[in-house]
Amino acid sequence: MSPWIRQHQFAFAAAVSTLRKAPGSFLFNVLVVAVALALPFAGITLLDNVRPMSEQLSVDPEVSLFVKPTATREEAQALEPQLRHILQGSNARIGFVPREQALDDLKERSGLSAALDTLGENPLPDSYVMKLEGFSSAADAKRIDGIVEQMGALPQVDTVQVDSAWVKRLAALLGILRLALLLLAVTLGVVVIAVVFNTIRLQVLTQREEIAVSKLLGATDNFIHRPFYYTGALLGLCAGAVALGAVTLALHPLNGAIAEFARLYASEFQLAPLGALEMAGLLALSAGLGLVGALLSVQRHLARMR
Amino acid sequence: MIEFHSVSKQYSADATALSDVSLNIEKGELVYLAGPSGAGKSTLMKMIAAIERPSSGRVIVFGQDIGQLKKPGIPFLRRKLGLIFQQQRLLNDRNILANTMLPLLVAGAPKAGAEQRARAALDKVGLLDRAKAHPLELSGGEQQRVAIARAIVNRPQIILADEPTANLDRVAADKVLDALRAFHSVGVTCLISTHDEQVLDGAGRVIRLEHGQLIGGAA
Repeated sequence: MSPWIRQHQFAFAAAVSTLRKAPGSFLFNVLVVAVALALPFAGITLLDNVRPMSEQLSVDPEVSLFVKPTATREEAQALEPQLRHILQGSNARIGFVPREQALDDLKERSGLSAALDTLGENPLPDSYVMKLEGFSSAADAKRIDGIVEQMGALPQVDTVQVDSAWVKRLAALLGILRLALLLLAVTLGVVVIAVVFNTIRLQVLTQREEIAVSKLLGATDNFIHRPFYYTGALLGLCAGAVALGAVTLALHPLNGAIAEFARLYASEFQLAPLGALEMAGLLALSAGLGLVGALLSVQRHLARMR
Repeated sequence: MIEFHSVSKQYSADATALSDVSLNIEKGELVYLAGPSGAGKSTLMKMIAAIERPSSGRVIVFGQDIGQLKKPGIPFLRRKLGLIFQQQRLLNDRNILANTMLPLLVAGAPKAGAEQRARAALDKVGLLDRAKAHPLELSGGEQQRVAIARAIVNRPQIILADEPTANLDRVAADKVLDALRAFHSVGVTCLISTHDEQVLDGAGRVIRLEHGQLIGGAA
């Protein structure tokens, strides 16, 4: 075995031995760090589940075009070839809805038939309803903006509405959530580093004599620093594992509640735990944060001891 | 092997530990460093181990100028020295076998080999049967002998013993000195500091310090 590997083996064993000497304190620190890590891990799990859903949502936007109330029926119907021209290249179904039919539909759906009868004349305009295909994802939703703009510029057109706006809102909301999660993760990452920093500081103080004696006996700085680095990384790693375990366990009762909600929308949506690769990445990140905390603490406190 | 050339050490304007000290210690010598408390004995020893640096002058150990020695080189210098302190500085949270193994582990020796050599070192100081005991279970004299075992386990070329018999009764002190003389007899250079004149009975070369100045035994 090479001396380098032996030194690391020794440092790892020394770190484990130190942690075993004060298991209660180690466990408490692991819990504190785990709580800090659990929040961003839960957020990441949520985003990981929601992102593909939002990306694959079938938009099939419906564009509703309302003709000016002053336009005649002929003028309204004359718009259809122009609309087909604008939608050229897109797979679209165009349906003309006469104002009489619109009023009948409203009466039927709203249950306000009697109230609407008192209006005397039909307040609704002629309209077109266009079902667009080939705009099936949130990413494509922006393409509709151009079409809407062209339609809005046609004569006799009063308003154009697109009902896919909510998909854009969802995408924007996810963007905000992602940014908020990043900020939260950075903040809690700093918390993790601070907790590990303090843990290592206390260990350096506790092992002050051992450090001093080791130096007198010919220990290099690396020999003295390494066990603390391993301690920090182990603390981060264990806390990361506890946090991931807690988030994964929490999915079970959460999915029970989600299932009821999703059923209302005829969906079978469930939150799934992160994949093995993502979990390994988060564990590595946790260990890395612990290592950074230990590194900063060792550099600061051993430098003071010198 | 150890050379001091006009070495002075000042901790502050009115605290001079050593003043213009020049001396030479050859390989294989047994040298006693005598003087009252505050004479500068510990400072002189610390300079050999690069624990302190001279304010002026040159300290040469193994041909290396301690004043010029870079920080990464210090551990490697110390691995060639066996240090024994007045307060043994044993680690109380581990047994004496583990204490004795420490210099070898620090130098990257395999654990099994280190344990074997530590047992041999404890055997030399007559404490092998107490290998599993913790330092606080031992008497002062036994603790000092563990410190000697720890100092010799890495087969140093120089042993520096700073007041190794202080706080010990005569019997325990004699055992410690006998152990040190035994290592000198196999060719190890030994420098033993003491303020106890009884220790110097029958001693060969004695370097005397007073108020940081050399007053005898320099050559």
